[in-house]
Amino acid sequence: MNRDAIIKLLKQPVQWVEERTGVIAFSAPLLTHHVPRSAKWWYVFGSATLMFFTIQIVTGVCLGTMYAPSASNAWESLRYIDEEIPLGWMLRALHGWSSSAMVVMMAIHMLQVFMHGSFKYPRELNWITGVFLLLTVLALAFTGQVMRWDQDAYWGLGIGAAIVDRVPVFGDQMRALMLGGPIIGGETLNRFFALHVFILPGAAIGLVGIHMTLIMKNGISEMPKPGEIVVPSTYRKEFEERMHKTGVPFFPDAAQRDMVFCGVCLILLVFLAAYYGPFGPGGMPDPTLINTNPRPDYPFMWIFGAVSLLPPASETAIMLISPVIGIAILVAVPFLSNSGERAPSRRPGMMLLAVFVVMAIVALTWEGVTSPWSPVMNGWSALPTPTQFVKGRTPLQMQGAVVFQYAQCRNCHELGGFGGKRGPALDEIATRMSPDQIVRQVQQGGGNMPAFGKNLNSAQMTAIVDFLSTLRPANEPDSTIPGAQLPLPIKSPLTLNEPFTGTGVPAEIATGASSR
Amino acid sequence: MLRIPNFFSCLLIFASIGCDRMPGKPTVATPVAIGSSAWTQSTFDTNCRGCHSQGAEGAAIPLIDAGYWKVATDAQVIQVISHGQGVLMPSYLESNGGPMSAEQIAAFVKGMRSLWGAGSPGGQGGISDVVVAGNADAGAHVFASACASCHAAGGSAGSVTDPMYLKLISNQGLWSAIVYGRAALASPAWNEPMPNHPNGLTPTEVADVVSWIAQARPVSPANNQNASNAK
Amino acid sequence: MSDNTNGETKKEGCVGCGCGGGGGGSLPPVAAQDARRGFMFKFGAGLLGIGGALAAVPIVGYIIGPARSRYRNEWVDLGATTLFPSGQTRFATFLNPIRQPTDGDAAKTACWVRCVETGKFQVFAINCAHLGCPVRWFEQSKLFMCPCHGGVYYQDGSRAAGPPPRGLFEYKWKVEGGKLLIDAGRLPGLEESV
Repeated sequence: MNRDAIIKLLKQPVQWVEERTGVIAFSAPLLTHHVPRSAKWWYVFGSATLMFFTIQIVTGVCLGTMYAPSASNAWESLRYIDEEIPLGWMLRALHGWSSSAMVVMMAIHMLQVFMHGSFKYPRELNWITGVFLLLTVLALAFTGQVMRWDQDAYWGLGIGAAIVDRVPVFGDQMRALMLGGPIIGGETLNRFFALHVFILPGAAIGLVGIHMTLIMKNGISEMPKPGEIVVPSTYRKEFEERMHKTGVPFFPDAAQRDMVFCGVCLILLVFLAAYYGPFGPGGMPDPTLINTNPRPDYPFMWIFGAVSLLPPASETAIMLISPVIGIAILVAVPFLSNSGERAPSRRPGMMLLAVFVVMAIVALTWEGVTSPWSPVMNGWSALPTPTQFVKGRTPLQMQGAVVFQYAQCRNCHELGGFGGKRGPALDEIATRMSPDQIVRQVQQGGGNMPAFGKNLNSAQMTAIVDFLSTLRPANEPDSTIPGAQLPLPIKSPLTLNEPFTGTGVPAEIATGASSR
Repeated sequence: MLRIPNFFSCLLIFASIGCDRMPGKPTVATPVAIGSSAWTQSTFDTNCRGCHSQGAEGAAIPLIDAGYWKVATDAQVIQVISHGQGVLMPSYLESNGGPMSAEQIAAFVKGMRSLWGAGSPGGQGGISDVVVAGNADAGAHVFASACASCHAAGGSAGSVTDPMYLKLISNQGLWSAIVYGRAALASPAWNEPMPNHPNGLTPTEVADVVSWIAQARPVSPANNQNASNAK
Repeated sequence: MSDNTNGETKKEGCVGCGCGGGGGGSLPPVAAQDARRGFMFKFGAGLLGIGGALAAVPIVGYIIGPARSRYRNEWVDLGATTLFPSGQTRFATFLNPIRQPTDGDAAKTACWVRCVETGKFQVFAINCAHLGCPVRWFEQSKLFMCPCHGGVYYQDGSRAAGPPPRGLFEYKWKVEGGKLLIDAGRLPGLEESV
């Protein structure tokens, strides 16, 4: 058979299908529609988001064949997929990493559209469907975290329930609606399962369809140039003329960049999944195992960070109202400014706003990851008193160091770089506070420190203050205010070298000297 | 033309065999066996390390020390872990509100001895690990000659007769402090050279000196109770 | 389901009685046909509306059921009062009386029992009053600490530090036959005290 004969043979069924469906006639213009010549590497992020979404659907359906959506054995089924099913862990890893990648790509895509002013006339609805896609994807990420049904999932639901519960009047009912009952249990997982595999993916597919249709209708925006102003009355006509004259077909001119970028992303995704493996599942979802440190997944870490920094008096209002305001502002963006300059250099205020939002989210995420407000729960029993704070101390000061551990001070205070960050590090506390100030602080608390007055007896208090009064760098004076009355007999601490010879044996012992 | 099928067959082999051996594959979690050295170490690191560290770290008696395990008996260590000691050592037994069962504590002590005990079964070293009642009057002389040069009120190593100090430490605690010392902090053990006692103290002298120091303690029911518990 | 079938039978009944069906014989004039089409459209839309509403009742009812149900707390046995020594705070667990067959481990619930003095108790929910994370008791400092956002409570459950807007949630308790019972079930929330 020669080449022409093969081509003819292949063409026949294609023509047969085309004659009956018109699929080529329908899709060819979609592929070859003209896009601006200037649409280069900035335009690849939307395609990458869509690619990751496709991966999510494929891997999600695969996982759906093995996952048991039941609170009594979801966790075990995940362990089974990880450990027993060939490549099951890889599927979970792909699904998890692709989810993170989709959120990241979506955020970059959104930022690019915002910075280039691409949401202006006539693409307002492109932006708004994009906002709803963002919300859908974040909801998918949260419900996906619940699917892991481990301790983080359980207590993450608890946090969500506690926030919903704060809604005035209907809080209780809304919480019950969310959890599927008065507790976090079987019905809760199944509700979130229905959301995660039916409702939200359905919504996302629909929104992607609208988003794409709008792209076809309105075209891809050009790279912004200073001075090229969007005038709604003339924009569409001029844009279409420019596309006609200088545009290039999407396929292959623009698609090739998407293909390169998506290819790189896909390879990276597989390597990430193969190297770092799946997310969780963490500890068993048993609420009586309380030695747990619940943390949300990364896309929500900034919210976790934010809720701990809110002032207690207004936090309920802020927690409930700020999401509404945030979404309203995002939706309102194209209405607030739908014409005029698109170039970043001509919209410095908007650029500052974008930079501020990105920095705020990054900073809050960092705060959430490090959680300086969280006590180190086993700090008191796991973090030793560093050598420099033990050497050359008197027996009372040594007992003070033990009291410091015993009273869980270490859970919130650092010594030698280890310990909680809730309170200040106490390595040099003696240079900042006099013994009587330390006594008052420990007894009465204040500044977000509990009062220990009732829980420490006088000996413990004396010992701990004596110990803390030694915490200062060598050669620095203490903060004792001249003439201030000391409530307790505080002895001056020994410096490191005073009682010792270089051999580490006390001078008296080494030389055999005796005072008696 | 053969390259493409080759590439795909490589990929297929990679997919069917290689992928399942990637570093990302979760390791099958085998629960750490109670009593194993890994379990002992992690139990120690979580629950004890804060105070009982090794070397010069930590303010309480270091447990990672062969000298300690030579003298200390399993029964005494189990007793202290289960029911606490003095004012500052919490009790770890479940029925006392702690995190460990009696079996776990026994396994833990056994595990620590095998990790750090250097093969000693304990109860060696020529002195009991439990405080013994002594003669306070005799203790006064021992203290004056062996201890006072550093540990008298205002002494260079700090007073051990400070009532506040004594309220925080039981007689058993005093006994252990003298018997084990802190080598890394240059505090001698009971049988190491001290002023006027080049061969250290005798067990009787240790008991006497503990009794004498304890006289300076303001009466406190908690301490009496703990001291009697230890016996 | 029964509502749904009702809707369908109604529809069929109406078609059967002939109001929607055409008569026999020759075709009516175009104008009459158009008028009947207008009527038919409205009638169809109405029927579909009624049927849809009827079908929606069970669906919506099913989904919002949990929000309307009145789940009742029950008295749960935490064990003999001797398990809780005077002056101490101890960990206790129980199976939630409000549970379903598929709850698995999630039906287990934990709480902190403080025996203030013999015969007098305080039973605290495990959930922090801030955002519900499990608080842990520290016997030495007599504090409850939360691992999430650093909420701290004193031994009587009152707020000591951190973001919680109130003290720990407390269960109602009673002693019967030497056993400590608590009134438990619902996940505690700010609107109520368990």
